[in-house]
Amino acid sequence: MKHTFYTFLKAFTGSRLLLLLVVSNLLLCQGVVSTPVCPNGAGNCQVSLRDLFDRAVMVSHYIHNLSSEMFNEFDKRYAQGKGFITMALNSCHTSSLPTPEDKEQAQQTHHEVLMSLILGLLRSWNDPLYHLVTEVRGMKGAPDAILSRAIEIEEENKRLLEGMEMIFGQVLPGAKETEPYPVWSGLPSLQTNDEDARYSAFYNLLHCLRRDSSKIDTYLKLLNCRIIYNNNC
Amino acid sequence: MKENAASRVVFILLLFLNASLLNGQSPPGKPKLIKCRSPGKETFTCWWEPGEDGGLPTNYTLTYHKEGETLIHECPDYITGGPNSCYFSKKHTSIWKMYVITVNAINQMGINSSDPLYVDVTYIVEPEPPANLTLELKHPEDRKPYLWIKWFPPTLTDVKSGWFMIQYEIRLKPETATDWETHFAAKQTQLKIFSLYPGQKYIVQVRCKPDHGYWSEWSPESSIQIPNDFPVKDTTVWIFVAVLSAVICLIMVWAVAFKGYSMVTCILPPVPGPKIKGFDIHLLEKGKSEELLRALESQDFPPTSDCEDLLMEFIEVDDSEDQQLMPRPSKEHMEQGMKPVRLDADSDSGRGSCDSPSLLSEKCDEPQAHPSKFHTPEGPEKLENPETNLTCLQAPQSTNREGKLPYFHANGPKSSTWPFPQPPSLYNPRYSYHNIADMCELALGMAGTTATLLDQTDQHALKPSKTIEAGGEGKAAKQRESEGCSSKPDQDTAWPLPQDKTPLISAKPLEYVEIHKVSQDGVLALFPKQNEKVGASETSKEYSKVSRVTDSNILVLLPDPQVQNLTLLEEPAKKAPPALPNPAEAALAVSPTTPGNCRLQLGWGLGPAGFMHLQ
Repeated sequence: MKHTFYTFLKAFTGSRLLLLLVVSNLLLCQGVVSTPVCPNGAGNCQVSLRDLFDRAVMVSHYIHNLSSEMFNEFDKRYAQGKGFITMALNSCHTSSLPTPEDKEQAQQTHHEVLMSLILGLLRSWNDPLYHLVTEVRGMKGAPDAILSRAIEIEEENKRLLEGMEMIFGQVLPGAKETEPYPVWSGLPSLQTNDEDARYSAFYNLLHCLRRDSSKIDTYLKLLNCRIIYNNNC
Repeated sequence: MKENAASRVVFILLLFLNASLLNGQSPPGKPKLIKCRSPGKETFTCWWEPGEDGGLPTNYTLTYHKEGETLIHECPDYITGGPNSCYFSKKHTSIWKMYVITVNAINQMGINSSDPLYVDVTYIVEPEPPANLTLELKHPEDRKPYLWIKWFPPTLTDVKSGWFMIQYEIRLKPETATDWETHFAAKQTQLKIFSLYPGQKYIVQVRCKPDHGYWSEWSPESSIQIPNDFPVKDTTVWIFVAVLSAVICLIMVWAVAFKGYSMVTCILPPVPGPKIKGFDIHLLEKGKSEELLRALESQDFPPTSDCEDLLMEFIEVDDSEDQQLMPRPSKEHMEQGMKPVRLDADSDSGRGSCDSPSLLSEKCDEPQAHPSKFHTPEGPEKLENPETNLTCLQAPQSTNREGKLPYFHANGPKSSTWPFPQPPSLYNPRYSYHNIADMCELALGMAGTTATLLDQTDQHALKPSKTIEAGGEGKAAKQRESEGCSSKPDQDTAWPLPQDKTPLISAKPLEYVEIHKVSQDGVLALFPKQNEKVGASETSKEYSKVSRVTDSNILVLLPDPQVQNLTLLEEPAKKAPPALPNPAEAALAVSPTTPGNCRLQLGWGLGPAGFMHLQ
């Protein structure tokens, strides 16, 4: 009895495992790209770097557009005449990352550094974006324009991070990319009771998001023209 | 003395002040920063608007400090950008950093500073217009000629390295036109225009926009003259139009060929006759205007329209929902087959008065063995009733044909119309027509004859008070043909069951009759309905005498004074009231247009009103 029970359990778990494998395969196949990820230097790689870059540039452009619109919307609605801009100086949590500040600096930066910067920026924004969505939802009278864009940006950010990791794996195979990234600690100020302080915190966050998405967008476009088109866009 | 000194000082001060005021000298007004713009995300320029200068020569300085720095700088270049501007070169420009800029106006009297302006170069990008716009007319050999527009990216933008990404837009118009034709050209630096008018001079302009920033100004105009012999025929459009019209013609020909008649009737429907209740064409033809008007008077005027439509459309049958009207097997005889009507168990189905006493005239139909069977009359059929005195009348051909078939109301708690053909299994013995059938049977001595009063081909329901026979001034109703009782094998007629619920019928002078019984010798015992009271009247008059046949094939019946108080058939009598909560009008036969169809015609009129004329 026990023996049969055990054999049955084994068989059952075996089939379950198989099912799990199949399902996980299916899920894995649904990625940003439906083709398998290129192993390092593999010959019959399906995904071309050009396609990856094209896609990444599109997503980063989209994220920056959304961020700008969201910031403008918030500014128009909640920040008129409040002078929030003065408080927004030096308020970005990513200012510790050494990003190039003009074209010459950027052109002199190696693409490994640039890509690490992009990855660091993307990772450091995962957490703030999540909380942004939650807090905007809880904001009284939050207009849908802001909330929907926040949700969209959060999703696209994850997508871009995946794509960037793929690109990094192709362009710089074997390089380590586990640099620490800046951590955001502005959640308490988003949840404070003082309305003005809370709106100021939102303003800062949206201001920084707009700026960082512009940085990511610019660096990606630079890398795209440099790597794919050989500086001949 | 002291007072003198003090007053003198005051006086001098005032004098001085007055002097200065008279001179118009004062500290400068507040300047204002207008905007800052960067043409290529590498440099930028700011412009300001001076305030009043206070009558003294005023110097303007621009000071700024960057985000994260405390050091205040002054503008490096006041000249390059023009008057009242400050140009920041590459060295002094940082992206993704906020600049806090202030303009100060200084004159002898004082200093006045503007409000600070917070600027991030990333968001103030406005490129120059594209450069070197060239136009060229090209005539390739085997293709259409076109205008080839080329341009270059604006200066100061580094597109090659990817630092700056641009999109372009072209607009052109003939010199004399007012509206521009705009084309979006994305990232390409050339465009081909095909649709041009020959002999015109075209003006072309181009502008550009960074991926995140403002549109540039339009470039200076470039013009080109299109020669007169520029081939411009766009035959594709004409070919498309020709093909489309050919297809449409084919469709129309096909439609006409196959459905010509119905299309013609759809487009040009036959002119209906006047649907005025009580209005009789024949009266009009005869010129008997008095009778016509009298007939009209007696009617409810105007008739309700929905009733007409409903009556024209279908025939309802009361009672259970599963009773379906099913056409007889030989349905193909029907010209325009009556639509099978669902039994309508709801007397308030919205059809209102139409549901109530409506009399169906039906064509003669096959008598069925089952007394309760009712069938729709097939196409052209004849009613024969040799055993009775009833004759089948040919309905007069008149435009009133379009009148409605009176409804048959089934008995039962509610009034409803007759069922159209229904299978025997669905027959509901509760229907009042059953009684009439019984009466028919009795009258004709035949068993199992059923009558249907449906005139299916006509598809019209005649309102009980539809028309008034011109000749029926006070005459008895016409005799109803109980064709349904005929033994003709292929005909069935059902007795129209008079029911009265319609307000259409005025009380006077029309009166309606309810069939009580059929006497042994085939005489119908009818009793008039005085008004809408339910129940049989005490007296019944027997109308068995035919006074005359009118021109429109209507039998005019006279009451038989000698035969009074005929004993009513108990059963039908009892059944009738519950079956007919509102006794209907005398059934009217609707005469289909086709010749040879029997029509039951029943008119009932007492008094001067005359009778209904069923067509």
